[in-house]
Formats: sequence, structure tokens, C-alpha cells
Amino acid sequence: MTHSLETILEALQATFPALSLDTRAMLTDETVISVPGDVLTEVVGELIESFDFYHLTTITGLDTGEGLVLLYHFWNIHGLTLYVALPYTEARVPTLTELIPGVAMYEREIHEMLGVDFTGLETSAPFLLPDDWDDTLPLRKQAVESEDEV
Amino acid sequence: MVNWARRKSLWVLHYNSGGCNGCDIEILDLLTPRYDVERLGILKEASPRHADVLLCTGPVTRQSRDRMRRIYAQIPAPKWVVVIGSCGSSGGVFQGAPSVMGGVDQLLPVDMYVPGCPARPEAIIDAMAQLMEAIA
Amino acid sequence: MKSDKMIIPIGPQHPLLKEPIAFTLTVEGERVMEAGMRMGYVHRGIERLAQERSYVQTIHLVERVCGICSHVHATTYCQGVEALLGLEIPPRAQYLRALLCELERIHSHLLWLGVLGKNLGLDTIFMYAWRDREIVLDIMEDLSGGRVSHAINVIGGVRSDVDEAHCDEILRQLDLLTEPLARLVGLVEHERTLKARTQNVGHLSLEQIRRYCVVGPVARASGLDVDLRRDMPKAPYTDLSFKVITHTAGDVWARTLVRMQEAVESVRLCREILAQLPDGPISVKAKRRVPPGEVVSRAEAPRGELIYYIRSDGSEKPARLKIRTPTLTTLITLPEQLREVNMADVPAVLSGVDLCIACADR
Repeated sequence: MTHSLETILEALQATFPALSLDTRAMLTDETVISVPGDVLTEVVGELIESFDFYHLTTITGLDTGEGLVLLYHFWNIHGLTLYVALPYTEARVPTLTELIPGVAMYEREIHEMLGVDFTGLETSAPFLLPDDWDDTLPLRKQAVESEDEV
Repeated sequence: MVNWARRKSLWVLHYNSGGCNGCDIEILDLLTPRYDVERLGILKEASPRHADVLLCTGPVTRQSRDRMRRIYAQIPAPKWVVVIGSCGSSGGVFQGAPSVMGGVDQLLPVDMYVPGCPARPEAIIDAMAQLMEAIA
Repeated sequence: MKSDKMIIPIGPQHPLLKEPIAFTLTVEGERVMEAGMRMGYVHRGIERLAQERSYVQTIHLVERVCGICSHVHATTYCQGVEALLGLEIPPRAQYLRALLCELERIHSHLLWLGVLGKNLGLDTIFMYAWRDREIVLDIMEDLSGGRVSHAINVIGGVRSDVDEAHCDEILRQLDLLTEPLARLVGLVEHERTLKARTQNVGHLSLEQIRRYCVVGPVARASGLDVDLRRDMPKAPYTDLSFKVITHTAGDVWARTLVRMQEAVESVRLCREILAQLPDGPISVKAKRRVPPGEVVSRAEAPRGELIYYIRSDGSEKPARLKIRTPTLTTLITLPEQLREVNMADVPAVLSGVDLCIACADR
């Protein structure tokens, strides 16, 4: 049973009345909801339980130059992206592996590439980077810029 | 005499050190009915100990480096290294990537380069034929 | 009492694996108790390289994420950039892109069938499947100039066209493919050894598929009825009719059936695409500088849902390119699939998920 996006957004706003879940459109057929990191787990739980929005395509991590952003791309006929803004230092969100076991690889990659901590995620072993990699976080802006200078 | 026997049955070990798979499927294509390199005596082997030629594809990623060295050391002499594709020759489109070392010659002595992205099966067969001439 | 546990490494160099990935199997007697994975042998940092390349150079970069599904990567990327530019690409270009996507699906599934056969020790299947696959490679070479790497996408459309005679030639070659493909499907449906090796092996339930967000033929073989060509339709799939193949058994045999029947559907789709090919130009001009914005572009690659996220800051280079390939979703299920499996069944399990490590590592 697919619910319309409007229904979902209304219901989410009703369940989390204290927060303003800003929404905007993104190309193509994607709706973006801003979610603070401390209610991320509850919002995702609600999406899965009440609306069958269980399919998380991936998590994009990026460095905007002013901070880090995590984009959780969900899909159920329409695309729904949760936008979580994080500061450079103390960039931390809880892991979603209890709710969605499939999320582990996406979180490990972001931890490795951008240095975001996912509380509860096992990250001792390197994932994609080679064993002899130093501590630089490859997708942080400083890393890319310093490459250009060399 | 030994050289004649050797070049008539070059057994290859294929190792992908970080490539996109394009050259690998063209190498596998060589074993199939259209190209059929077995008629030239070439067999694809599973173990480095059974091989004469190391067919390398892909740029050498830093993670692959130690393993490649070990595989090369495990191949008994005389051995040859044939690099298939642009990535193995020079790093290809991945030049400059921090997790990539570059072409195979950054790590191993290369006997033959087969450029292409991916290298065509005909080019690979030509390279093996030239290698056989060189061994004689 | 001395433990029977032994650790067996598979990879990064192994006859089963065409690409390097390291599996560590903890085995007790003949049964696999636990499986660990180390990826990263093919990590080239493509997402980071893209930030240093222009949008046009990045087409050629993303084509080389994977050699087997290179066209769908380039297509998904170009669709994203075209959305950022606000471009409507001509219908003829959409049809030509879809034609190559379907041909790629056929070639990928035939390739996989051959590799499955080879890994199970059934070399004849490998020879037959790859010989028949040559027909598809010939068609793709006539279309684009390359057997494996096509480079047919430009931002704004495609770069090479087909005329009437060429279309007839493609149809003739597709006819050559029909009987061999039917024979291979029949083989999968009836051949006792293949069935014995692949049935009840590597089972994944629908519940596991949903929890791991698995996509593609592996998900459809366990009963998940999702195919982005139908469920998130973009032209030309909105005008084409095709069946989405699903199965319920959820084992390696079901995945084989799903892939082969999908290949048959794709041949039919190719014929329909050629029959309905609209007239007109094959590309529109695109600006080099992309206005600031973000886009999520999804497509159904041979292995499942492929997603590209592109963020533009108004310059000539992408500010962020994020790729998630379908193989990542199946790789994560491998430790569960391998649990309690006999060593002799490990090749079937590893082959059943259609690994494309180059896609996974990027």
C-alpha cells in the first residue's frame, strides 16, 4: 500500500510537532525533509512502521564547505531524502543498523571518507581505503584542495 | 628445445589489480569459441605456480600492491608480465587518484603492453603471438 | 578437544573471482560458520576524481566504474546532469540510450551465466553462453564502435545514430540470438546438474531482502516485485510493454531463472524499441557550466537499482558525485548466505549474487 507523499509529510509533522520538518523539492521526483540528527532514528522508524518506506537506497555524505551533510535517500515509488546537517567537529549520528541492517556499508563508507561517527557502528576495520592509508578523510574539502596545490 | 615447448604452451595467470573489468572480460573472451586461444597453447591457470605469464589488468591500487608482488614472486622463472589495457600501462583515467599507484610498471618489470580501453581480443592475441616470437 | 575450525581465504586472487576481493571463511568440517570480507582492492576513488574533472570528462570516468554495465552508469549520470541543466533530450536519443541499456542487460546476464557455469565446473555452459553473447557484442560494436566500452552518451543525447538499413541489420542479428537464448533458458529450467547445484543454495527470504534493501534480480528472485523501468518510468519505458520477472524460491537457481528470462524480455524490448524509434535529432547542445543544484538520478542497471547523486556549485566541475551501485546491496547479504553452507556450495553462492567488485569499490 503506497501512501501519498503529502499524507506522509502531514503525519510526520503531526508525530514530531516540536520540530519544523522543512521540506523542499529536489530534481528528479525527490522530496527533501530536513531532520535534526537527534530524532533521525525516530523519524526513520516512523517511515518504516507506518508507511512501509523501508527501502534506503543509499546515504550520501558531503562537505558543503560550511559543514557536513548526510542525505538519506529513501525510495517507495517516489524518492524521499532526509537531510541531516552536522558540524565538522563532533559529527555524530546514531547508526540505523538496528532498523535497516543494509545500512552498514553506507555508514562505514561515510565514516571512512568524511569522518562522521555513527554511534553503535563497528568501524575498526578499513572498508574501501587501503591498509596503508594515513588519517586524511578523502572527501573533506581540505583534502581535495590540498591535492590541487601539490 | 625447451624454448620451443615453452612458447607453444604459455600458461597464463590473470590478475586484476584494480581495473573496471572491461579488459578482464575481453581476456575471458579469448577462451571462448570465437577467439579460442587454446589452439595457440594458451591456458588460463588458477595458481601462480602453474603459470608462465602474468596477465595484468587495471591500475595498481595501493591495496593490491603487496598481493601483486607476492603473486609475481610465486610464479616460477622464466616468467613474463603482459599488461592489458591503458590502466595497467599508465594508470589510464585513474591517474592521480590517491589510492592508485599507477601502471603495473610502477611495481613489476613489464615485458609487453597492450593498450586499449578495453584492449580488443585481437590485440591481446597479437601480443601473445609476439611474445611467443620473442621467446623463441 | 581440538577445534575443527579452519580459516580458508578466498581472494583477492582466486579462480572463482574475476576481480579482487578477500573473503575469509571460518570453516568447521565442511560447513562455513562465518564469513568476513575485505573490499577496497579496486577502490580508485572515482567520486573524488570526479570533483577534479569537468562534467564532460566525468562521463568517461563513470563509464569506467565497471566495464560490464558501463553504459547504464553513463546514462544515469548524463540524465542527472541534463536535469540540472534543465535539458529535454530528444526522444530519438532516449530510445537509442534504452536500446543500448537493454543490450547491455542481455550481455551482462549471458556473461554471468557463463561465469556461473565455469565456477560450478560446467565449462560447456560458459562456452555456449559466451559464444552467443558475441552476437550482442557485435550489435553493440556496430552501434557505438566499441564492444565493451561504448562512449555513446553525451550530455544532451547520444553521439551516433542508426539508419533504416542498420536497424534491419540489428533485427536480423537479434533473430540469430533467439534460438540460442531459448536453448540456454531451457537448460536452466531442466538441466539436472545445474539445478542440483543451485537449488536450495544461498537462500534469501523476502524479509531479508527488505531488511538489507537488496535490489535487482537477487531481490526479484525472492519475490520482491520492483523494477525501476516499470516503477519509476522514464521515457521511453513509458511507451514500452514488458514483463517484470519475479520468482519465489529465493535461491541461486531462482536468480538464474530470473536473469535468463529477463534477457529474453530484453530481446523483445530491443525489437519494440527499434519498431517505435521516433525520428528527429539525437542530441541538444549543453552548456559546460552547470547551474547550482542537486539531483538524484536512478536507473535499473542489470544488477538492480543504480543511484547517482550530483551536486553542482555553478562551476564546470561537479562539487559532489555520489554513486551507489546495486552490487553493494547483494554483497552485504553474503555473510548471511554463506552461513551453514557446505564448502562445495560456496562457488554457487558467490556466483549467484553476480558480484561486480569494481562497481562496489569504485
